[in-house]
This record gives sequence, C-alpha cells and structure tokens, in this order.
Amino acid sequence: MRKYVHLWIKLTMNSFMTALTSRFGAVLFLIGKMLRFVFFLIFLLTLFTQTRFLASYSQTQMLFFFLTFNFVDTVTQLLFREVYRFRPMVVSGDFDLVLVKPISPLFRVLVGGADPLDLLMLIPYVVALVYVGNHLGTTAPGVALYLLLLINSFAIATGFHIFVLSLAILTTEIDHTIMIYRDLTSMGRVPVDMYREPLRSIITFAIPVGVMMTFPAKAILGLLSPWVVVASCGIGITFFWLALRMWRFSLSRYASASS
Amino acid sequence: MNAYLQIIKGTWAEHLMYRLNFLMWRVRMVMQLLITYFLWLAIFGTRDQFFGYTQSMILTYVLLTGVVRTVVLGTTTIEIGDLINQGNLSNYLVKPMHFFAYYWARDVADKALNLLFAIGELTILFLILRPPIFIQTNPLYIGLSVLAVGMGVFLYYYFSMILGFFGFWTPDVWGPRFISFVVMEFFAGSLFPLDILPKPLFAIAVGLPFSYFIYFPIKVYMGQLSIAFVLQGLTIGLVWVGGLAYLALALWNRGLKVYTAEGK
Repeated sequence: MRKYVHLWIKLTMNSFMTALTSRFGAVLFLIGKMLRFVFFLIFLLTLFTQTRFLASYSQTQMLFFFLTFNFVDTVTQLLFREVYRFRPMVVSGDFDLVLVKPISPLFRVLVGGADPLDLLMLIPYVVALVYVGNHLGTTAPGVALYLLLLINSFAIATGFHIFVLSLAILTTEIDHTIMIYRDLTSMGRVPVDMYREPLRSIITFAIPVGVMMTFPAKAILGLLSPWVVVASCGIGITFFWLALRMWRFSLSRYASASS
Repeated sequence: MNAYLQIIKGTWAEHLMYRLNFLMWRVRMVMQLLITYFLWLAIFGTRDQFFGYTQSMILTYVLLTGVVRTVVLGTTTIEIGDLINQGNLSNYLVKPMHFFAYYWARDVADKALNLLFAIGELTILFLILRPPIFIQTNPLYIGLSVLAVGMGVFLYYYFSMILGFFGFWTPDVWGPRFISFVVMEFFAGSLFPLDILPKPLFAIAVGLPFSYFIYFPIKVYMGQLSIAFVLQGLTIGLVWVGGLAYLALALWNRGLKVYTAEGK
C-alpha cells in the first residue's frame, strides 16, 4: 500500500509538471473550466427568474445539487485524467511497457496522471458547497450521510472509468466512450427526479448517474430513507465489482496488436 | 472539380475507416441532443409556457439544434493547429490547390456525411418520442432560415480556421479552442434559446458572432423574428463573415512567413 502511495505521489508530481510546462495553455484551460461552470450557473439562475421551484426544489437546493455534481465530476477528473490518454497507449502498443512493470497496470492507467487544473477548480467548489450547504439547515447525520454517499459516488465513478479502460482494450476503435460517460453524467447537473419515467429509473438504477450525482445531495436534504442509502451503497459496490471483473476479462483479451 | 470530388471521397473513406468510432461519435451527438431534450421536458413539467415559449416551441428548438449544429459546426478544420505544429502543413503547401479550398471540400464531405446520419437519427427520435413540434409552412421563412444556416457555415468555417492558425505562433492550440467551445456552447444557443437570458446578457450574446451559428437560423425558421429583423440579422452576419474571412486570410499570409515546418 505504501509503495502505491509513494508511486502515486511521484506520478502526480510528474503529471503536474507536464501539465504546467505550458502555463499559457494551462491558464486558458482553467478559464474555460470556470466559464463552463459559470455559464450553466447563469442558466440555472435564469430559470429561477420565472419560477420559485423546479420540480419542488428551491433555488438554493438546486444550487447544492449542481455544486455536488461539479465536486464529484472534478474529483474524478482530477484523479482519472490518465484514462483520457489510454486509447493511444493501447493502439500504439505502449501498454506493453506498463504490463511488464511490477505494479498493477490498472493503477497506472487509472490514476497515473492527475490533473492540477482540476485541483485548483476544487477550491471554489468546496467553498461554495460549504456556503450553500450552511443555508440548507443541514444536520450532523445529514452531513455524515452526504459524505458516505460521496464515497459511494467515487466508487461508481471509478467503476465507470474502469469500464471505459476495458472497452478501450476490447475495441481499440472506440475513442468517444469517456466523452459519452461525461455526457451521461451531465444529466446529474440537476436532480434526476426532475426527469420523466422511464428515463428517471434508467439513469438511477441501470446507469447509476442518479446514485452518483443526486443521492448525496438528497441525503443531506433528508430526502432519502435509510433503505435507499443502503441500496445505493449496494449499487455502488456491485458496480465497482462488475467493473473490476470486466477489467480482468479485457486484460485476458489484450493482443498487444501494434507493438 | 474532379480534384475536389476526390477530396470528398477521401474524407468519407477516412471517416468510415474506423466505423465504430464514427458510430460512437454519432451516439454522442444523439445523446447530447436527448439530454437537452429531456432537460427541457423536465423544466417544463406541467407548465404550459416558460419564458414565453410553449413546450412544442422549445422542443422544436432543441431538436432543430441537432440538425443546425451538424451543418454549421461540423468541421474538419479543428486539425489545422496540429497540422501546423507537426510540420505536416508542408504536404498541403505543395499541392496545386489553395489550402482554404482543400478544407472547404473536406468540410463539405464531413457535413454531408454527418447530416445524412443526423436526419436518420432525428427521424427515429421523432417516431419514438412523438414530440409536439412546430412545423413552419411559410416558404419565405424556410428559405430565409436556409440562408441563415448557410451564413452560419461560412462564419464558423472562418472562425475555426482562425483558431487553427494560432498554431503558427504557439503550440498551445487546444487551449483557445477549448475556451471557444465553452463560450460557443453558451452564446450559440445550443442549450437554450438566447432570448430567455436577462436583457444585458442577451444584448451581449446577439452582439457576438456565435448567435448566428445556431440561435439565429432556428429563430428564423420558427418565424419568431420579423422580416426586417431577419434581414438586419443577415446583414450583420454577412459583415461578420467578411471580417472573419479577412482576418483568417491575413493570419494565413502572416503565418506562412513564420512557418518553419518544425517537427517534420
């Protein structure tokens, strides 16, 4: 375990140095990320100029959902940025070089390239989450459940990224799966209960975007029963386990085609 | 003419070489459309009107963004920055045709192929979702909206070219493009019609060229703008086209003077 922590720090330092080689580019990407957040925020606030509630959620509650989405999304991008670079590694055959190293290949291709820009983006998100959360009249058990379900969200997000990695090995043609994941999770910018059936059930249980993005915020608002919390954790653990199985299966199919 | 046909054929062959990749790209496009569609359906809930739009008007707007963005924003020019940075531009400089014309032909191929798929996808979506949509019957508005889409195509082509030409001076070509995507998504009106924005923000939005990419052509189609306003919009849009074309050409000429085929 200590070896992996040490290795992660090394890989992260390298990744940060690489990303900051071009400060001009880094600043532009950072501005772009901020603008993306601000623009959707403007859209949400604009909606509330016409109504006091959207699907029975107030403006403050909706902001909290949106901020939770951004927090989960940014943490996963911060940790799993290397996934975006995996397909070229498979196509070129450079993945062979990872396989021969005495470390878990999943560890290397999953968390081997953290993104410093997302680390910077996390600061305003956390401050805003605490600020908006204080206006929701939260309780200590609510916060505890929120944190528990956030961990569950990260388990699901990790599962999604492992699925993407597995697909990259099985079908080297696919270049868009990670972006499809991003598109899908973007439905969680608003609470998934807003969507109509059967979409609501699909993005809650079949593709657990709702469990990942909406349930933590619902927990802090006291809108989840204990059974739903337990079921959510069950979904998270099962999803993560399935992703690991898929990874092992795809590794067994790796053909080292271009090396 | 035959040379351009060959470029179009070559571009199609290139896209269809990795069929699954292309298919997944189309899946993304459909998903983005559906996400916006269901988001608006959710926002409307049981309401009849929102921001002066009926549900059918807003859903028509959202579904039309699928076609308009395919035609206007579908481009192969995003590769130009890398082409310059990797020195591969040299291969195009020795060809007996203008670089701009070459990319026009590639864009025609790209837009045609994607449009074909977009029409098929939208037909399937219509059959499955059966959305309450608005169909324009006035041929004048239909004709003007086609003109507006054509103008958007030219506008985005030169805008994207300009972003690519940054490659002559910097290796950071993706930073400006990322910002442009983010700004464009908002100010082009791909998520919502721009006139729902607060007035000061709406004034900024229509003052930028991005509103002519998606918002303006769809608003013309929906007949929500007076003929005088449409003509005024087309005139302003043409001024933008002229300005961006001039800037793109100026950057190209200046860029060629500093181009060193580095990386080749």
